[in-house]
Amino acid sequence: MTHDFDLDALKSVKPPEPSQAARETAMRAALDAFDDETNKRQTQGSASGVRLMTILQRSWSTTMTALTKTRLMTGTAIATILVVPLAGYLAFSLINEGYSPQFRQDTPLMDLGGANRAKDEADADDSRIAAEPKPADGAIAAAPPAAVAESEVRVQSPGQTGLAKSAPSTQLRRSGESFSAAGAPVAADRIAPMPRVEEQSGDRFEKFDSNGVKSVADAPVSTFSIDVDTASYSVVRRSLMEGRLPDPDSVRVEELINYFPYSYPLPESRQTPFGVNVSVSPTPWNADTKLMHIGIQGYDIVPSERPAANLVFLIDVSGSMNAPDKLPLLKSAFRLLLDKLDDRDTVSIVTYAGNAGTVLEPTKASEREKILRAIDTLQPGGSTAGAAGIEEAYRLAREAKIDGGVNRVLLATDGDFNVGASSDADLKRMIEKRRDDGIFLSVFGFGQGNYNDQLMQVLAQNGNGTAAYIDTLAEAQKTLVEEAGSTLFPIAKDVKIQVEFNPATVAEYRLIGYETRALNREDFNNDRVDAGDIGSGHSVTAIYEITPVGSPAVSVDPLRYGEAEKPAATNAAGTDEYAFLKLRYKLPDGARSTLVTTPVGPAQEKASVAGLGDDTRFSIAVAAFGQKLRHEDAVANYSWNAIRDLAAKARGEDSYGYRGEFLRLVGLAESLDR
Amino acid sequence: MTMRPDANGPETAAREEDDHALALRASHGDRDAFARLIDRHYATIHRIAWRWCGNAGDADDIAQEVAIKLARAIGSWRGEAGFSTWLYRIVLNTVRDRQRALAAERRRVEAFAVQALVDAQGSDESTDPATRLWAAVGTLPERQRDAVLLVHGEGLGHGAAADVMGVSEGTVSFHIHEAKKKLRAMMQAPEDELS
Repeated sequence: MTHDFDLDALKSVKPPEPSQAARETAMRAALDAFDDETNKRQTQGSASGVRLMTILQRSWSTTMTALTKTRLMTGTAIATILVVPLAGYLAFSLINEGYSPQFRQDTPLMDLGGANRAKDEADADDSRIAAEPKPADGAIAAAPPAAVAESEVRVQSPGQTGLAKSAPSTQLRRSGESFSAAGAPVAADRIAPMPRVEEQSGDRFEKFDSNGVKSVADAPVSTFSIDVDTASYSVVRRSLMEGRLPDPDSVRVEELINYFPYSYPLPESRQTPFGVNVSVSPTPWNADTKLMHIGIQGYDIVPSERPAANLVFLIDVSGSMNAPDKLPLLKSAFRLLLDKLDDRDTVSIVTYAGNAGTVLEPTKASEREKILRAIDTLQPGGSTAGAAGIEEAYRLAREAKIDGGVNRVLLATDGDFNVGASSDADLKRMIEKRRDDGIFLSVFGFGQGNYNDQLMQVLAQNGNGTAAYIDTLAEAQKTLVEEAGSTLFPIAKDVKIQVEFNPATVAEYRLIGYETRALNREDFNNDRVDAGDIGSGHSVTAIYEITPVGSPAVSVDPLRYGEAEKPAATNAAGTDEYAFLKLRYKLPDGARSTLVTTPVGPAQEKASVAGLGDDTRFSIAVAAFGQKLRHEDAVANYSWNAIRDLAAKARGEDSYGYRGEFLRLVGLAESLDR
Repeated sequence: MTMRPDANGPETAAREEDDHALALRASHGDRDAFARLIDRHYATIHRIAWRWCGNAGDADDIAQEVAIKLARAIGSWRGEAGFSTWLYRIVLNTVRDRQRALAAERRRVEAFAVQALVDAQGSDESTDPATRLWAAVGTLPERQRDAVLLVHGEGLGHGAAADVMGVSEGTVSFHIHEAKKKLRAMMQAPEDELS
């Protein structure tokens, strides 16, 4: 439509009138600051110096003006000269502001000052690195978690905190036992939003390194928990739609892959809740390696057979939720979900902000009017006090608990989830405890700006839930309506995968994605170690890139003194199998896991990528896309265009248009990656 | 120094002069002068903030932030730069800081994500093209966005914009040129249908 456009049209976009109240507040704040500054200067006795400078500078300025008017100097030269004193002012203002030790937490003005303090500090870094003692990581981790959380949280306003530094991915292992035993301070460290100033970021994503290539000789076994979260895809999409490449740390490849519905074959009998499908094919981005593709397909529970649901919505109505893409979107999303429920189900609503309160006692979902009225009364305002809210939500969930049904707390927040007086570690413990009581937690992230992806992930992982990021009504429709079954009704929990590679055929392997889901080898058989869940109709995909023995792509040289005659672990050694896949799961109310195994060999191998099904090929394209966004070496020479081709040919029916949207995203990423 | 926006006449010049005097008095600790200065420019600050960030609530916040910054910095204002140039710089820096703080890189126009999606889904083409364009400008890289908004939104000349941005005129023109290329691609991107 737009072949050309007139940039001057920009002038015609009329700004709104500034709010009078805001204006008055600003005025008052500015005058306060002014007085403050005046006092400071007097006490420092530097006022006369400033005046003297002023006169000098002013005459210099007059000369400059004359020079420019006669065009004696080039623009660049002038700009260069000018910039120095201006930068000085800014540094001055930044330092003063960023530094201000008298931190008046109670005045509303500080909210604002606070919002910018973090990166003001970062900006003024050059001048202040020596002066500002940054909180040492260790100090924070070692401090009593409660105290840290409390003091930090109170003074923060949305977006102030930097990217809380992540624990290495291995520590993200979700293990009920070992987590609380060995990792209590670590957990607190991860959850507590800390004012880390070196990253100028409001949205917080856990940093993690991509899985490296592993040598089968060194580490023949790979273990991980499945992951059905999809939040990363929405975050990536939002970023691309806004015209910028996503932060590589926000890209979790497995979540991109698992965002899309696939329909892999189901098992023949319903004894096992899901089918496990493995295929081996050439790697589109590397002629010398192969891909081992694992597709797990869960049964779809027939609506009439689905268990009754007791859903407690815990809704963040803090001031920061007051944006079109937050509370209003949430309200609309909620209506969508309500349509999927019937009179077997109960709904309750708890809000938290300032004072937590029950907005709706457990109510039959068939009483639509009453529920909708309750939704409409939600108004943003106040600061967040999560602890009281979440306790209240769990109380209601217990009160209305349906034995044999789905009992779930659904937390909707923009991530500004301050848990108030009780520490984050307590919060996590409570979520874990309730999980064991059969009340699960799902997390829906909204909005952008101070979205705390990391906290959301941790909460959902510990609560046997999914974390989804809802940026548009279309996404709400996908998560809450089309995938309501898989979001709400689990068919298996604690699903873990372990793959043992055959050193006779596979030299090296690399798991694509799932970095934050790695498990220890021994965790696989430990039923107390928590892992991901599969919902009704869910599919989960995991892809390994494997390097066959003798391939030119083998990156690690064999050991000269390596075990030439390694004792055969099983009598299967020496076969032409590539790997042995083991999968453990528990039924939603079970405590003991069931083991499913399948060997992977030439029988599952396809000679070409084209020989794979649409779903498999599409998921491979998404895997390439995600890796490329993470700037991974493996796909450096594989073009965006090739990804788009691969995906376009595997588009299939695509009744909801998700794959079409993906194709557009690849196009956008390509145009931005220049 | 060509501090004055080219588009503005001698009237603005007088006022700039006046601003200059006020700012100097304020820099010497004259509270009334400072109050008048803020009062006079609040609407401008708000307008700039809004143009850059696209959200009235953010604009209120930024305007307040800028007012505080001015209070802190005015004491060392030495008057070598035109007041409006200085003001632009402070507002733009505040916007930038805030956006960096609020988003992984920059907080863009709130509405744009939704808008882009709506566009991408091929419905609702009725939006005012100027608003769409402006939303798209909000997604440009910082320098390009600044250049485009200063010149085409605020009506500054390339020279004045260069002063605000602390770069040469040529660089401003270059940024605008680049921005136009990107905008063209962006305004068309949602319509590329692949199959």
